[in-house]
Formats: sequence, C-alpha cells, structure tokens
Amino acid sequence: MALSKRELDELKPWIEKTVKRVLGFSEPTVVTAALNCVGKGMDKKKAADHLKPFLDDSTLRFVDKLFEAVEEGRSSRHSKSSSDRSRKRELKEVFGDDSEIAKESSGVKKRRIPRFEEVEEEPEVIPGPPSESPGMLTKLQIKQMMEAATRQIEERKKQLSFISPPTPQPKTPSSSQPERLPIGNTIQPSQAATFMNDAIEKARKAAELQARIQAQLALKPGLIGNANMVGLANLHAMGIAPPKVELKDQTKPTPLILDEQGRTVDATGKEIELTHRMPTLKANIRAVKREQFKQQLKEKPSEDMESNTFFDPRVSIAPSQRQRRTFKFHDKGKFEKIAQRLRTKLFGLITEENPKREDYFGITNLVEHPAQLNPPGNVSTPVTLGVYLTKKEQKKLRRQTRREAQKELQEKVRLGLMPPPEPKVRISNLMRVLGTEAVQDPTKVEAHVKAQMAKRQKAHEEANAARKLTAEQRKVKKIKKLKEDISQGVHISVYRVRNLSNPAKKFKIEANAGQLYLTGVVVLHKDVNVVVVEGGPKAQKKFKRLMLHRIKWDEQTSNTKGDDDEESDEEAVKKTNKCVLVWEGTAKDRSFGEMKFKQCPTENMAREHFKKHGAEHYWDLALSESVLESTD
Amino acid sequence: LDFHRSLAALELPMASSRATSTAVKTKAPDDLVAPVVKKPHIYYGSLEEKERERLAKGESGILGKEGLKAGIEAGNINITSGEVFEIEEHISERQAEVLAEFERRKRARQINVSTDDSEVKACLRALGEPITLFGEGPAERRERLRNILSVVGTDALKKTKKDDEKSKKSKEEYQQTWYHEGPNSLKVARLWIANYSLPRAMKRLEEARLHKEIPETTRTSQMQELHKSLRSLNNFCSQIGDDRPISYCHFSPNSKMLATACWSGLCKLWSVPDCNLLHTLRGHNTNVGAIVFHPKSTISLDKKDVNLASCAADGSVKLWSLDSSIYSRKIQHTFTIAKEVMSPSSVFFNPKCYDRSWRLWDLEAQEEILHQEGHSMGVYDIAFHQDGSLAGTGGLDAFGRVWDLRTGRCIMFLEGHLKEIYGINFSPNGYHIATGSGDNTCKVWDLRQRRCIYTIPAHQNLVTGVRFEPIHGNFLLTGAYDNTAKIWTHPGWSPLKTLAGHEGKVMGLDISSDGQLIATCSYDRTFKLWMAE
Repeated sequence: MALSKRELDELKPWIEKTVKRVLGFSEPTVVTAALNCVGKGMDKKKAADHLKPFLDDSTLRFVDKLFEAVEEGRSSRHSKSSSDRSRKRELKEVFGDDSEIAKESSGVKKRRIPRFEEVEEEPEVIPGPPSESPGMLTKLQIKQMMEAATRQIEERKKQLSFISPPTPQPKTPSSSQPERLPIGNTIQPSQAATFMNDAIEKARKAAELQARIQAQLALKPGLIGNANMVGLANLHAMGIAPPKVELKDQTKPTPLILDEQGRTVDATGKEIELTHRMPTLKANIRAVKREQFKQQLKEKPSEDMESNTFFDPRVSIAPSQRQRRTFKFHDKGKFEKIAQRLRTKLFGLITEENPKREDYFGITNLVEHPAQLNPPGNVSTPVTLGVYLTKKEQKKLRRQTRREAQKELQEKVRLGLMPPPEPKVRISNLMRVLGTEAVQDPTKVEAHVKAQMAKRQKAHEEANAARKLTAEQRKVKKIKKLKEDISQGVHISVYRVRNLSNPAKKFKIEANAGQLYLTGVVVLHKDVNVVVVEGGPKAQKKFKRLMLHRIKWDEQTSNTKGDDDEESDEEAVKKTNKCVLVWEGTAKDRSFGEMKFKQCPTENMAREHFKKHGAEHYWDLALSESVLESTD
Repeated sequence: LDFHRSLAALELPMASSRATSTAVKTKAPDDLVAPVVKKPHIYYGSLEEKERERLAKGESGILGKEGLKAGIEAGNINITSGEVFEIEEHISERQAEVLAEFERRKRARQINVSTDDSEVKACLRALGEPITLFGEGPAERRERLRNILSVVGTDALKKTKKDDEKSKKSKEEYQQTWYHEGPNSLKVARLWIANYSLPRAMKRLEEARLHKEIPETTRTSQMQELHKSLRSLNNFCSQIGDDRPISYCHFSPNSKMLATACWSGLCKLWSVPDCNLLHTLRGHNTNVGAIVFHPKSTISLDKKDVNLASCAADGSVKLWSLDSSIYSRKIQHTFTIAKEVMSPSSVFFNPKCYDRSWRLWDLEAQEEILHQEGHSMGVYDIAFHQDGSLAGTGGLDAFGRVWDLRTGRCIMFLEGHLKEIYGINFSPNGYHIATGSGDNTCKVWDLRQRRCIYTIPAHQNLVTGVRFEPIHGNFLLTGAYDNTAKIWTHPGWSPLKTLAGHEGKVMGLDISSDGQLIATCSYDRTFKLWMAE
C-alpha cells in the first residue's frame, strides 16, 4: 500500500481536511504524521498506534476516515481524469456546508465505529438519503454529486412542469424497490467502495434518462393518449392523475427523484421511504448468504438463471408451452341475427322516409375513377404482322441491293480506295481473259485458273458455314421453338378416352407430350379416362391431331371383339373405344407438372386429385359429359 | 547514254531508276493483268560493270564532284533541307472521308423510311428539321429524311417515340382512385335508384325465404323436372333474319316479340313463336350492335313511348317507339358502342362504349348523368342487378367490375379471366354473377364471398354471351363462337344440353322472361328459337 510522493502530494489536501474535521482545527504535524503512515503503507491498526499520541480519543475515528479518504482518493484517481477531480473540488468548495451535516450525524457514527473495524471492509450501500445510511456520511464527493444530480433533476422538473404533468411515479415505490435491491446483492462487498462512485454515477444517469424519457413522452401526445396537454396538466393540478399515464407507468421502472438533501421524493415533494441496506457484521452476511444458497439449491436451476439482476418486467415472456388453440364456434344464427338487425334498420329507414337515408348509404354526387389495371398478358406491345413478299418482290429486292453493293465497290476502285479485284477467270473464259499468255503457257494458266476457282469455292463454303448455327445452337433453337412462349397464357385441352388400358397408347400419349414439352395429367378411372395437357398452341395442335386422328382408338376393341363374339353388336358399338375433345381453352398458368398417370378407382379420388391442382372443373365436365352420353 | 552516265556519276542507285521506268511501261496494259506479267524488256545493258571499271581507273571522282558543284550552282540540282511532305497521311485522310461517305450512303440504303408523307413530316418535325423545303415533293422529302437519319442515326427517332410512350405509361401508372364531383342530377338519380332498389331487394329476399320454406324434396324434384325438360330442348324454329350476320336478339318483356339487330343496319321485330316479321326499324347506317326492349314495354308502357333502344358501331344510339317504325330520337356518341342495356328501373339505360367507359342516361330528360371510367380497355358488356341497384361491366381488359349505382363505388373487382370478357349477367337470386370470356371459360362469381366460386370450361371458342334463367336462375345459358349454345345447371354447373344447329358463330342469345323460350342468333344470318318438347 506504499504510495509514491506524487500520490502523497495529491492526498495531502484530503488529509488536511479530515484532520480539520476531526479535530476542529488544522494541525500540520498530524497531517505529516498521517501522510507518513499512509506513505509507508501501514494498515489501520498500525496507523492508529502511530497516531495515538497526537489524537487521543478520536484516533480510531480519524484513522478510519483517513483510510477512507485515501481509498477514495485512489479510486477517483483511477476512474477519473485529474481535471474531473479539480472540478469536484471546486464543487466541494461551493457546497461547503456539508460539514454541518457531518457534525449532525457524528453521534450516529461514533456508535458504528467499532463495527466497521471488525468488518474491515465497506458494506454495500445503495444511494439514499445520508441521514439514513451513515456509512456514506463521510463521502462528501458522493453527496456533492448527488446534489448536483438532484439540482439537475429539479431543474428539469421545473422545465417539464410547464409542458407536462409530473409523472405519478411516487405512487409505486414498492414496485421500484425490488428492482433496486438485488443490485446490492450482486456487488462483491470487497469492491463496494470502488463501485460506489460508479453506482451513483449510474443512478444519476438513469435518473437523467428517466427525466428525458418523461419529457419525450410528454411531448408525444399519441403515446399518452391525450392530445390536450394543458388539460392534462390541469387535471393533475386538481389532484387527479390521468389514468392512461398511470397505466403506462406501472409497467416501467419509475424515475428516481431526489430533493436538495438527496432524499427520494415523489412528484409532490413528499419524502418516501425506501428500504435500505444497513451495514451489518460479516458473520450476518455470511449467514444470509448461506441461507440464500440453500434456497437456491432447493429452487430450480432455471429460476436461478433468470436472477433478478437481469429481470426486466417490461419484457413479456412467452410461456414455454404453446397454449392449445381451441375452435371458436359461432352460435347458430348469430350472423343471421346481425343481418336481420341490419335489414330492419335499413327498411325501417325506408318505411319511415327518413330524410337521412342518403347519409346512411353515403349517396353523394361523387364520381369514382378507380385505378385502371393493365390487362393480364402484355397487350401494350402492338401486334404487327410480318411483311411477306412475293417471289417476284423478293427477287427484285435482292437484285437491287446487290446492284447497289456492286456500284459502291466500283466507285471505290475508281477512286483508288481499294485495289481492283482480280479478274474472275473460269475455264470457259480463260482464253478471253488471259489471251496470249494462255497460249504461251497453257498449263500454268490452267493451273492458275483452277486454283482461283477452288479458292472462290472455298470462300463461298466458308461463308455459308460461318452463317450456320452450331449443333448446340440448333438444338437450343429447336427446343425454344417447341416450348413456345406461354408467358401470355397457357393453352389447355382436355380429352376424354373411354378405355385407356392399352400400354402402347399410354406410351404414345406420354412420349408425345414429353416431346412437345406439354405438361398435364392422365387420370385413369373405369370408363372415364381424362387427359389434360397444357402447353403452347402449336404443341396443342399436334397433340390434338395425335389424340383425335393418329391414334386408332377402336383398334384394340376390334381385336377383342374377335375374341368374344357373344357380345351383341349394339353393345359393342357403345363400348367402342374413342377419344373426345372435352374442352380447349386458355388459362393464366400451368396447373400441372410433368405428365403423370394416375389410377383412380373412385370418382371422388379422381376429383380430389384434380382439385389438388385447382382444376376440378375439367374432371366435372368430363364426367358429366360421359354420364350424359351414356344416358342418351 | 550521256544521261545515264551522268546519273551514274551522281552515284544514284541504278536499280531504282530502272524500276520506275519499267513500272511506267507496265502500267499501260493494266486492264490485262495476268499472273505472269508480260514485261517489256528494255535493256540497255548494265552500266555497273563499266562504271566500276571507270571508277577503278580513278577518273570519275573529281569529275563527278565538279559536275555536282556546277549543277548546284546552276540551280539544276536542288537539295532539300530535310523538309518532308507526307503524301501517305494526306491521302489517308481524304480516303477516310470518302469511305465515311460510302458508309453513310450504305446506311441510308438500309434505313426504312415510311412512304406515308404525313409520317415523314412528323419524323422530320421530331428531328427538328423543316418539314418541307421550297419545291420539295414527297419523294424528295423522304430522301431528305433518309439522309438525315443516316447521319444522326435512327435511334434519335426511336428515342423520341419511346419518351412519348414512357410518359404515357407513367401517366397511366400514376392513376389512382380519385373522385370528382358530378352534376346534382346524379345525386338525385342515385337517390331515386336507392328508393327504387331497396323495396325490390326486400321483396327478393322475402321470395327467397319463401322458396326456402319449400321442403327439400319438392325442390329437388322440381329441379329434376326442369332438368328433364331442358334435356329435351329442341330447335323449334329457325328463321333467316337478314342478309348480314345478326348480332343481337332480345325478347320483349311479354315474350310475344323478338327484336333482332343486324350488321346491315336494320333492326327487326318478329312475332314469337311463329317468327313473322312485324316491323323493320330503319335508321342506322352501320352495324347495329344491340337492341333492347324497355323493361316495361308491351306490359304497361304506352306504345308511343320509348320502347326500344338500339346502338350502332358509329356511336349512335336510337330510341324507338312501337307504333311507328321511325326512330324517335337520336343520341350521338363519338365512340363505337358495343352493347347497351336498359336497367330494370326503366328510367335509365346504359350504352357502353369502346372508349373505356360506360354511361348512364336519363331517358326522360335525355341527358347523360354519369360517365363512368374504370376499365383500361373498352367496356363490352353490362348487366343490371335485378334490384336495379348494381351494374356489372365486363371489359376487353379481361376484368369485370361491379358498381353500386347508388353510391357510385366499384364494389367488386372480377379478376381471373385471361382474355376479354364478352358477356356478364346477374342471377335473379341476386348474388351470383356469370361472366363469359375469350379464354373459352365462363366464371361464376359470388357477390357475398366476393370471389370466383367456379370456372366452367364452357366452350371451345370464345364465349359471346351468358344468361341466367330469369325467374329463379335455375340454369345458365352460354353461347360461343364454336357454333353452339350450352345449358348448364346452376348451381352445380354441369352440362345439361348443347344447342347445336347454327352453321356460324353464335353472336347473341336470350331467354324469354317466362323462361320457356330460348333465342340464339348467329353469324350465319339466322336466328333460332329453342323450346322444350
């Protein structure tokens, strides 16, 4: 605990003050002796022995205070900058009247001294009025800070009192206490002294924050639910607290309001009793702790987890198990009653010739202009027909463009912008073009001509090949063409087949649908087999041809007919397999995925399957048509 | 030879001079470029050897230098001080210009310019050019536009067009529900409608309650009876109505007459059921879209009063009385009118136009009291609720809207069809609406649930009309461009009977007010009456 010289220098004024307070006058010899003790790092007992000759009776008290002062000085040095300290000193000087309070309560303190000695450490203390917590009495700094805070709060209150009513916080002091008490519990007693300042600082800040929140609440009429501030203030002045505010505040921690003496007061200025921690013996503390520990052992660990320190009553905790929601049935005839009431009201109006009828309906001469929605599918792009030329026109166009290109080339050559092209020679015109040379060296010339021809041929073929799509591109193009654009609506057709048991036919349907990129479903049900396909119009056209022309539906029955001749002709005709187009049209989206076959033994099952895809009307129509057909 | 010698003396490279001389020579037969160029060999013999010999003798050096000096002094030999004229660069610049011009002309050739003179002028104006020059004809103007476009690029024109479209679009998108104050007469009319419709609604509900009293078994048996009779529906009469397609037919309220509208511009009144021509109403010059009876005509209305209303493609609406076949009054519209309907309240009627709106007219005062917008494309069909309180409109924008005539609010938005709605009808039960659309389906909507309750895959071509049975709404009739009309149960919506027989598309249909007769008219110029046997 030995201190450096600089630290001692800093401590000197503190000690001087302490001496003055204890003895009633300043005594430099005592101060130096005390400094010596502190500087050497003596403990309390040694220091007391050392100082006994100077101070006699009040030695113990002095030593105690000295150590407190040292401790305090050190902690303040650790936590705050020197400028802060100087400011505090200034404050101390300004509010120098603390000594009176100290003197007033000195009697109380005297009784406590021996206990402090035994405990040796500062017990935890909550910030409260100094008259009730003697352990804090000597802490001038704390008091001053608290006073400063109180002043600020008071100022704020004064300001607020013009715009908003004071909060009815003091009405719920009991609710605020359980929150505050546990704070003391968690602090280690040994650290209490160092925490003290922080705790007070925090309390002050919290108070300030509360004040600010109150101010904001007051400024926001919507939160309080009363727009008329003046009226609210008046209400309060008459002694009636606005009910809504009260309700709100009960769920929140109430702000701490302190008066000049640092006592906790309510809005009306009445002092309120807060429960305080009294300093006790270590043994007592231990006993309490032991009991607490035992209790904790008894209690569930989960409860232990949510120790009160972190408990915020404002946060609603969802119960671990969700409550089972039950059905809420309306009573029979409830809505009928409501409707009846409405009707009687309505017709009553008419029969009475109530002049306010128009108000009842809201009949005005206003003309509504609802927002106009664009139709589904992109209709905004104008549909233009492609320009198709006749053969003659096509030829003419080609001729013209080629002539233009040729002319341009000629002009370029004439202007010397490009070298003249090589004369185009063929075997047939080589004599004419090369003349004498051909005569002179016919072999060479022929070779040259042939090479040129080959070159021309090659260039032509290469140009063609370059224009050609690659195999990949060709494939993609083909698929794109087959898939068609169905963003504007998908074409749907529904077929009904009497007998779809032949696997070859099933395969044909599936394979064709797959190749045409059609989606849909085939539902197999006794006599009514429904095939629904969705896709582009061209694919539908092809599929329609497959279903109605290409597949010979009566083929198989004719074979079986040969097998069993006992069936009458009429029945055979009736049972002849055939396929009917039930419906074709358009819809916004596909409702089915890849083509699938579904065996449905019952009608309900088939309908359910369709309903699952939101297309039960196809099934309804197919079924009822087949029923109609059979009855005819 | 002397010249050559002097050249040699100047120590110029012999070869270069020879090359230039040969080049000059070979230029002549240029048009006959051969692989092996025929070189005219002008060979004077190499001077090199001789020169070397001479130099070896050592006599040329002094002579050459002296000659050089003399040449310079005489001004015959000029030596430049390193100034260079870059022919290459100069030429390439000029070449580039010419090539650019070629490019431009090529581009101009590829630009397609409208042959329409007014469009050309509009384009010129958009580009900020004079729309015409002195003595300029359309062809020259077109050429000028083409040249300008080849310089500024066709994008300039596109951009201006796009801007226009964008602004238009944003305008449309900006549209939100808003209100404006209508004339005072509108409020009066609305109050009148409210007064009129509420007792009717009460009566309807009472009837419905009474109907509910009837035991289930009798109701089902009645229904079965009805279905049986409907199954036996047969073509009872077919009559050629005109020499052009018949677009619309409507039964008179007492079911004794049928009015047909024809594309020839004539409207005709036929007796029912013998199909004799009673009147020909001449007045329209173009396609007549629809003709409707006054809901009270032939029942309580005087023959001299307005009994019929018809509308034509030129936007005119004509009102007819029954005693003379001359139209009494005329209302002119600037837009094509699709169809019109008279409301059951009989004082108002509703022509709907292709101009995205529908109107409400006061028949007595003959003035428009409401111009209602709401569809983004033309309104094609309109129907009135039995009470006269609601109106349903079906638009070419594939949406339907239900309007409360008393408050003027759109109370229900029918969204679900993919293509245009061509037909809409209210059920007499008061809460079902059926719409027929170009996507070959017919949807049934519930006013109370405010949603589509069933989609009937009705036809194989676009559905042109829907009608509920007018007394109880027990069945639904749909007609379509697949040359058939179909009858569906309601509710249940299963097919009962297909009325096939027309050789052309079914354009219009109607059910007589007693529910006994069904009339369909078709593109094949005939109308047919259907009746249960």
